Amino acid sequence: MISCWRAPSGRAASSRKDRMNASFPVRLNGVHIRFLTSGLLAAFVLMALLILPGRAFAHAALVATDPADGAVLAQSPSQFSLTFSEPVSPLVLTLVRPDGTQLPLNSYRLDGQTLAIDNPEALKSGTHVLSWRVISEDGHPVGGSVLFSIGAPSAAPVAGEAVDWTLRTAIWAAKLLLYAGLLLGVGGAFALAWLAKDRRCGQRFVAVALLFGLVAAPVSLGLQGLDGLGAPLARFATPVVWKTALETSFVWTVLIGLIALGLALLSLAGPPGLRKLSASAALFGVGAALAASGHASAAEPQWLTRPLVFLHGAAIAFWAGALAPLGLALRKQPAEARTFLARFSRAILPVVAVLAASGIVLAIIQVQAPAALVHTAYGRLLLLKLALLLFLFTLAAVNRWTLTAPAEAGDTEVQRRLMRSIGIEMLIVLAIFGVAAGWRFTPPPRALAIAAAQPVSIHIHTLQAMADLSITPGHAGEVAASVMIMTGDFGPLDAKAVTLVLSKPDSGIEPIKRPATKPGDGTWRVDNLVIPLPGRWNVRLDILVSDFEMVKIEAPIDIRAE
Amino acid sequence: MKKYLLAAGALLALGTNAAFAHITLETQEAPVGSTYKAVLRVPHGCEGKATTALRVQIPEGVISVKPMPKPGWTLQTKKGKYEKSYQLYGETLTTGVKEVDWSGGNLPDEFYDEFVFRASLAADLPAGQMLYFPVVQECGDATDRWIEIPAAGQDEDALETPAPGIKLLPKK
Repeated sequence: MISCWRAPSGRAASSRKDRMNASFPVRLNGVHIRFLTSGLLAAFVLMALLILPGRAFAHAALVATDPADGAVLAQSPSQFSLTFSEPVSPLVLTLVRPDGTQLPLNSYRLDGQTLAIDNPEALKSGTHVLSWRVISEDGHPVGGSVLFSIGAPSAAPVAGEAVDWTLRTAIWAAKLLLYAGLLLGVGGAFALAWLAKDRRCGQRFVAVALLFGLVAAPVSLGLQGLDGLGAPLARFATPVVWKTALETSFVWTVLIGLIALGLALLSLAGPPGLRKLSASAALFGVGAALAASGHASAAEPQWLTRPLVFLHGAAIAFWAGALAPLGLALRKQPAEARTFLARFSRAILPVVAVLAASGIVLAIIQVQAPAALVHTAYGRLLLLKLALLLFLFTLAAVNRWTLTAPAEAGDTEVQRRLMRSIGIEMLIVLAIFGVAAGWRFTPPPRALAIAAAQPVSIHIHTLQAMADLSITPGHAGEVAASVMIMTGDFGPLDAKAVTLVLSKPDSGIEPIKRPATKPGDGTWRVDNLVIPLPGRWNVRLDILVSDFEMVKIEAPIDIRAE
Repeated sequence: MKKYLLAAGALLALGTNAAFAHITLETQEAPVGSTYKAVLRVPHGCEGKATTALRVQIPEGVISVKPMPKPGWTLQTKKGKYEKSYQLYGETLTTGVKEVDWSGGNLPDEFYDEFVFRASLAADLPAGQMLYFPVVQECGDATDRWIEIPAAGQDEDALETPAPGIKLLPKK
């Protein structure tokens, strides 16, 4: 009550006096000064009680604005104006820029019912919010927001998210080691089982790679849990982290990977009769482990992407895994290595063809548009990987077509060159693994597009009414809202009108009201809605249940930046 | 001016239940079991537009409603069943006016007018509580709905478009 009160105009005061004289005649008498004083006070208190409730003031309503709500302007306006249904005095006038910063508007003039506000700066392109709060004649503060855009409605500014670099490095390193274990270890075991004549060369290297993989696999899983929770590295051992990790698809990669690593060890150290069989099963396991999780496997169509990831992974394991045993064999026992080299070079062409073909198709599915190669982190990593691959293929081709034949023939000088070249290939392969492990942190353009289009939805449930509200896409910018309304006990609610009211008090944005329309499918919609900023908004639905009954329900909703 | 300030100060100190805004009832208190003359005060149109119709919902327990005709306005009532029966002067009432409509008029935004009806407040209405008369104000294609009723514990001032109401006093 008190907060509403405002000094009335002269007209109001005089009307009060008239009514006082008419209804409460106080006889002025010099003798009764004290009576007069206390009497006057009593009289005025009474008057106030009697008359003030009778004063019917009005709320000011916004009648017109310049720029108009939702307008798109070619250039920055020099001033704004708000026209109300009655004179007002401004309390707070703020311009919220597209990046969310606030510009207080302190320079304004009142011209009758119009409030002219100077714009102190040249506005950059994007959606701005002119947020106003005025006090109207009845003393009630009222507020609202006018949205307008310069150039075009803006996408939201990107909110910087804190990155836990220690955790990221750990995840990346564990992933790299897991790749090394699966691709170099299992692939190496396969090469030793199927291609090498003398299996001792490279056996130790392969065993070490497998052990790295066996350690890295469970560590990766734990780190995945940490990342899922956004928890720091220090909480690695807490049960909730592992519980979270076990709920991700990555657990299948780790499980199948561990089986593959175990089979590869069996093929290295187990009975000779099982060697080839377990090595093959292990290689199969590598493909399956990689296909079980990750960006590429998650892409649609799954019937295509998962087999492609499987083939891609198995082919890398075959190629990369053979390199170390082959190089070591060439160094230590050139004579024995000749058979190894001959078998490898016979098999490698179709394998590389499968590798390249599956990689190209997956890249097309993931990147979608060529521009995304440059514009997204995922695309840039892919370009880096392609550059490394080009180098690797060149080296491999030189090895295959110029060095292999003389080396097989027994040319020791060429064998040494081939060995060095294989060493460099190994390093490039590791670098490629490192790049591929980096993809862990960069959602592919395909996923970015899907994520950006995802709506945000909330459910509001009160005794009188409930609503399912979704805002599509669920990020700041141009969106559409869809509302499904029911009674509090899940019955149908045939509302006469629904108004969506959005406000963001922490950014100084007063309520943005938009009436909803009824497209006829049982929902209520607000199209052409612009949400100027990401973050937590307060959304309210004013549901007109009948002519005389309005239900207001509200809840917070989180609007993404992208 | 000093006198005015005194009054204002007294008002602030007392924190009375004054309703400042909107469509309101002139008499804001009435004992239950009495006859009540409701004078609805319309101080302005809808966002500057002239008022063309006023519709009042009669709450349960307000019986034997008789609206006062207004020159230039078409008066209509909507009748319906009460939730229970009421005794009035030995008569049992089960149906009566549930809504009063004045329509077809023209009250410019800059003018003030009053709309009147008379009714009996049932004796079993809860004394001490508020009784609200939701009002729909129509101004051509614009509509203001003075229909908000504060939830338990909610400050009436928090409402943007409160329904006019009266405080029920104990039976005399």
